[in-house]
Amino acid sequence: MPELRKDPIIGRWVIISTERGKRPDQFNGKQEEGVSEETCPFCEGSESQTPPEISAIRPGNTAPNAPGWEVRVVPSISPFLRIEGELDRRGKGLYDLMNGVGAHEIIIETNQHIANMADLSDEQISKVLKCYAGRIADLEKDKRFKYVLVFKNYGKRAGGGSLRHSRSQLIATPVNPKRVKEELSGSRQYFDYHERCVFCDLIRQEIEQKERLILDLDGFIAISPFAARFPFEIWILPKKHCADYTCQDSESIKYLGKVMKIVLSKLKKGLNDPSYNYVIHTAPFRRQKAGYWKTIEQDYHWHIEIIPRLTRVAGFEWGTGFYICPLPPEDAASFLRGVEV
Amino acid sequence: MAELRRDPIVGRWVIVDTDHPSAPGDFKYEQNIQKGGTCPFCYGNEAMTPPEIDVFREGGTAPNTSGWQVRVVPNKFPALGVEGELNRRPLGLYDMSNGIGAHEVLIETPYHAKDICDLLPQEVENYLKMCCRRAVDLAKDKRFKYLMFFRNFGSAAGASLEHPHTQIVALPMVPKNALEEIHGAKSYFDYRERCIFCDIIRQETQEKNRIILENKYFISFCPFVSRFPFEIWIMPKKHSGHFCYMPPEEIAALAVILKDTIAKIKKVFVNLSYNYIIHSAPINGDGEVEYYHWHIEFMPKLTQTAGFEWGTGFYIDPTSPELAAQYLKGIKE
Repeated sequence: MPELRKDPIIGRWVIISTERGKRPDQFNGKQEEGVSEETCPFCEGSESQTPPEISAIRPGNTAPNAPGWEVRVVPSISPFLRIEGELDRRGKGLYDLMNGVGAHEIIIETNQHIANMADLSDEQISKVLKCYAGRIADLEKDKRFKYVLVFKNYGKRAGGGSLRHSRSQLIATPVNPKRVKEELSGSRQYFDYHERCVFCDLIRQEIEQKERLILDLDGFIAISPFAARFPFEIWILPKKHCADYTCQDSESIKYLGKVMKIVLSKLKKGLNDPSYNYVIHTAPFRRQKAGYWKTIEQDYHWHIEIIPRLTRVAGFEWGTGFYICPLPPEDAASFLRGVEV
Repeated sequence: MAELRRDPIVGRWVIVDTDHPSAPGDFKYEQNIQKGGTCPFCYGNEAMTPPEIDVFREGGTAPNTSGWQVRVVPNKFPALGVEGELNRRPLGLYDMSNGIGAHEVLIETPYHAKDICDLLPQEVENYLKMCCRRAVDLAKDKRFKYLMFFRNFGSAAGASLEHPHTQIVALPMVPKNALEEIHGAKSYFDYRERCIFCDIIRQETQEKNRIILENKYFISFCPFVSRFPFEIWIMPKKHSGHFCYMPPEEIAALAVILKDTIAKIKKVFVNLSYNYIIHSAPINGDGEVEYYHWHIEFMPKLTQTAGFEWGTGFYIDPTSPELAAQYLKGIKE
């Protein structure tokens, strides 16, 4: 009998197909061979091929836009949103619109031509994670922005294109994205009733039940969530409650780097280097105003969601927000626990 | 400057690239090329599917043999099972239930290689008539709260079989996106005492720049807040919450506009894969709803949705709906 499971935070129902489901080892994420690029604009020595850098980690205090960096942030060449201008909110008949103001940046995660973040060292991943925090804090100063979304598209099926150089992106938006709002209001509802954070409760239950737990290490857990939308969907949650990604100290970032390395390596080894996306879920910027939401520090809990792209999302999922997951998360977690890295 | 547009129904913001819009030739999509092979939905292979639930067939032909025009069978690999009780229950802080529901496949035509645009209007009418008939029948099961009619065409759109077919899923709860749409429509109605979809039709037929086709009973247009390039909605002009009670003349009008719309987009994008979904009001709940208005949402598979869309519900449309409508309008069927 398949099961219907409800996401405790945003209330989305998912069909967990237990019978027709493939076995975990039947999923194969193997990607088509990419064409080898002549020159990669993200490699050390090609700095002039990108727009001038916004920030960079340069241990030897080398000059901007020159070699000698470890992590480098540049504006996107084809930005979705533009940094200059006012929002100019307006109506058009019954429709609402505003100008596409925002920031769109690329975080180049290594000066070497390495495709998958899983192949970077723990320390290098930590530097990238620290760089995210720095960019979010910097963009918060711009009063036009409400949210910064940090995400990664790795591999063609995940929208990462054919350029095989490890990078992530961030987009600062002038409105709170819908999905973020749903998560926030779901968490607040739970808090209003229980006076506890839903994520903290979830962490407690997952550590106790163990069957969806992939990793419990250095203050973080990695789980296959109860109402997973996709086979091998993974969430990484900090055990220490905090609403904002940026509240981590350098020790926490160091440990998160280690956890990311293990989880991404398990995916790579266990599923034949699949394409994947990850998204950092963090609280929006808080700017004092009337009706200001006072419990967000207590009711929301930052985390990372990783989605390997192993199946195609069809019309059913788009139209309904109702997902069919062909692999129970318990089986996915047990498989990933067994992958030695 | 790109525009941020807000969906008036569900409140979703979409980035529309009005600066450097993508033209049809800019999309590198995966073409849908049929490979052939044995097909369980073709004439002569009726025994390869579970026994038929409903069918239009020539007089004198026996069930589960050739001679049918439209055929409905249970899905061989159903996502939900039809027998049993829901048994809603908790698991610690989580909620769950048994996977009760129906999952059927509606085989639209005996022709393996004919998409809707290649059929005769009469054949499309038969297909739509059967959709209505299944909806009316499934709504009699009081365990079901929502009916999903959706069509995945082409492997890039998630179709596992080439032979054109529509899937029907009867769900024991109203899915999240439908709920949001209903809540959005209801709060608009509470404020203005008008149906938001009727208002959209009014504005679209006045402004005209997003309309692709129009006949007596339907319009097809690229919505102001398209999530995907060349997204198309087909909407009945007459207000109705459920699609399955359409009179014959409206079914005929829908057949024509559906066929012609698909023909147009497939002229622009050869061998296109796509999905469409019928959005209709929930069943076995409130009676006729004055604030909800059924319609079809058509999504061409031209781009890959990536981490940004997943994480935020914030979409980026590289071709403005005004431009998309202009391309589609210019195509002669």
